[in-house]
Amino acid sequence: MTKIKNLDKVYSRVQKATHYCGGELNSVIKNPEDVQIRYAFAFPDTYEVGMSHLGMKILYHILNQREDTYCERVFAPWIDMEEEMRKESIPLFTNETQTPVKEFDFLGITLQYEMCYSNILNMLSLADIPLLASERGEDDPFVNGGGPCAYNSEPIADFFDFFTIGEGEEVIGELMDAFKEWKKEGGKRADYLKKIAKIDGIYVPSLYDVTYNEDGTIKSMSPNCPEAKEKIRKRIISDLDSVVYPDKFIVPFSGIVHDRANIEVFRGCIRGCRFCQAGMIYRPVREKSADTLVNDACALINSTGYEEMGLSSLSTSDYTDLQNLADRLLALTEKEKVSLSLPSLRVDNFSLDLMERVQKVRKSGLTFAPEAGSQRMRDVINKNVSEEDLIKSATLAFEGGWNSVKLYFMIGLPYEEYDDIKGIADLSEKVVDCYYNSEKTNKRRPVSVTLSVASFVPKPFTPFQWAAQDSMETLYEKQLFLKENIRNRKIRYNYHQNDISVLEGVFARGDRRLSKVLLRAHELGCKLDGWNECFDLEKWKRAFSDCGIDMNFYTRARSYDEILPWDIIDIGVSREFMKNENEKARLASVTPNCREKCSGCGAASLCKTKKGCVCFE
Amino acid sequence: MNNNYYLRYEKTEKTKYVSHLDFVRMFGRAMRRAHLPIAFSEGFNPHPLLTFALPLSVGYTSECEILEIVLSEVVSPDEIMERLNAVLPDGVRILSAHTGKSNMKKLDIAHYEVYPEKTPSGIIDFLLMKEIFIEKKTKSGIKEVDIRPDIKDIKVSLGKIEMILSAGSRANLKPEVVIAAMNKYITGYKSGDCRYHRKQIFDAEMNVI
Repeated sequence: MTKIKNLDKVYSRVQKATHYCGGELNSVIKNPEDVQIRYAFAFPDTYEVGMSHLGMKILYHILNQREDTYCERVFAPWIDMEEEMRKESIPLFTNETQTPVKEFDFLGITLQYEMCYSNILNMLSLADIPLLASERGEDDPFVNGGGPCAYNSEPIADFFDFFTIGEGEEVIGELMDAFKEWKKEGGKRADYLKKIAKIDGIYVPSLYDVTYNEDGTIKSMSPNCPEAKEKIRKRIISDLDSVVYPDKFIVPFSGIVHDRANIEVFRGCIRGCRFCQAGMIYRPVREKSADTLVNDACALINSTGYEEMGLSSLSTSDYTDLQNLADRLLALTEKEKVSLSLPSLRVDNFSLDLMERVQKVRKSGLTFAPEAGSQRMRDVINKNVSEEDLIKSATLAFEGGWNSVKLYFMIGLPYEEYDDIKGIADLSEKVVDCYYNSEKTNKRRPVSVTLSVASFVPKPFTPFQWAAQDSMETLYEKQLFLKENIRNRKIRYNYHQNDISVLEGVFARGDRRLSKVLLRAHELGCKLDGWNECFDLEKWKRAFSDCGIDMNFYTRARSYDEILPWDIIDIGVSREFMKNENEKARLASVTPNCREKCSGCGAASLCKTKKGCVCFE
Repeated sequence: MNNNYYLRYEKTEKTKYVSHLDFVRMFGRAMRRAHLPIAFSEGFNPHPLLTFALPLSVGYTSECEILEIVLSEVVSPDEIMERLNAVLPDGVRILSAHTGKSNMKKLDIAHYEVYPEKTPSGIIDFLLMKEIFIEKKTKSGIKEVDIRPDIKDIKVSLGKIEMILSAGSRANLKPEVVIAAMNKYITGYKSGDCRYHRKQIFDAEMNVI
């Protein structure tokens, strides 16, 4: 194990040494000599973002429960740290033991959003690991990807040895066992990859060949060896009550984005919004019982001392046993003087009573997500929320003492007309009116309605995966149009950078040929693209033009018979269902949620037990 | 019923990069984990009642930190120390716990040890200077300040510079500022990167606090 020199000197020169030096409460300390497998778990963004991520906490815990494995963390260094590292020739190292990442057996990288791809290349280069999987030697770590972007990993396929598709709790153990076996057998690097290609949920991109048609679309994508499966089916945990959940979270010294004890209430979402990838790839809905959740909460409060507790899921108010859970959690948190935060509440089943009990003292802002301005458009995206729902919820909130609400919308959705965009302005206006029309609000306090308007990005494995994405110019026009239509000064309008949305869309639905662009962008210095101070669209444009690749090819509409780069992955939800949902969107026809009526998407077949799963309620 | 206690603790290598504000929050969480009957402040955001003698700069270690806490029930000082040491992260350790309030309000002087890459050959000429002006950033811009009155003594030995400096709310001089002044005024001297350690704190009469 190499000891890195000059670290203390470097730490004293950077702004946030605690992001690199480890030693946080509950971080795992093992003697590296005592283990057979060393796993570096990377979040390809900064510490404060990465440390907020639940998936990393879960897998860190599970890997470190194994006596034969030591899992350590690594993050993208901030600009000041990277400069110092390059100056002092310090390679990328882990937080726990300051070991160079290159010396690990595995480098696992979680893929949460497309705009972190440049960080992956930068981290590999800092680690002195060959960027291309094909150029790695026998001593290099296996680079493994997982998380939502692994569902279409083609744009980064050349940089990874393999991907884990779906939930990692079980499969990661199988990968470690296979590693030990392979070591014993004395196999070569390629042998391990062929060995794990047989494990369900493992995708080894080098075992597949892709050919293209003259128009640039994919002609075929097929295995080039007998070990590789025709299709890779995602892995899920059937019974969430029986799977391990960390009883300890690492408590960072410095503040992070979500600095609290989080318990995971359920996975999946009953709603089926047609733009939402999470709502499809995490199907079916599986809930934890209130008993398990209260136990998780107790353990975390005791082991972390956190003053805040959060519930994590895609739509907390859809939890079937919410009232009971909330009662029991509130009893616990009040006793321990811990505040409880409830994110992701829906407009149609918003309970003021619950909000008030949770936020006894502070009336922080409330956020509602109608997503689209007109009823027609909300039906197109299957949001299943009415104007009446929103008006009712906003009125309740205002009468309950809140005087500021935030509304989330999207523009650039498929089948969108300018009238739908105007609908955003009209609806926001009506929310302002709620405040003044009610007799119970305090008119001396000013009301404020903040609009957050994001540009729609079509994602793989959604009914809108075939849709065209608006160009930067069109999105800009639509934003200006919306701005012109907002006349009320109580409404504040924030919009997301649309150039980053287009880039995100290109990589979300991209194919293997985009790896060239990523390599070029890395050469040009692209990194930390999720940070405004670092993102540089011009560099990205240059990378595309230097490689002779047209972004428009990737933003265009696809036909149903085109082979999509992610067709090799099976998420358990059928292509027929997606197609049908897209056709219904065209007609602005809605689909009931999973709890009202099963729409036969196919996800039920993924579950091995019926307990806690919405498909068998 | 409020019960006052004060704790002496050390902050060593493993936590020296934790800033003062982060340390305050970290300590509050440790008190929760220790299940001590914490007395909370009133108001919208109740927080544990903690009072620190003198914030320690980022990167400094110390063996003489003092912190006052308030509990809502009586707990023996030994038990407080034991319970906290069981849950504090490596790099922070309670050295002793006492009932009542400390003398931290009288704090006036601090003793630091500085470990530079290179020590100066002599310090006499520097100490003989009547005024030592150094640039200081303030809200209204850069100002020249004379730090000489706040230097009580400096002693140089092999690999180590010891400094006795004004500390606390009346006047506070950080050893890194003195190092900057030494680099500026001692001809040919370049300290290189330094490590800083707080050794002791005193009142104006040099009684240990």
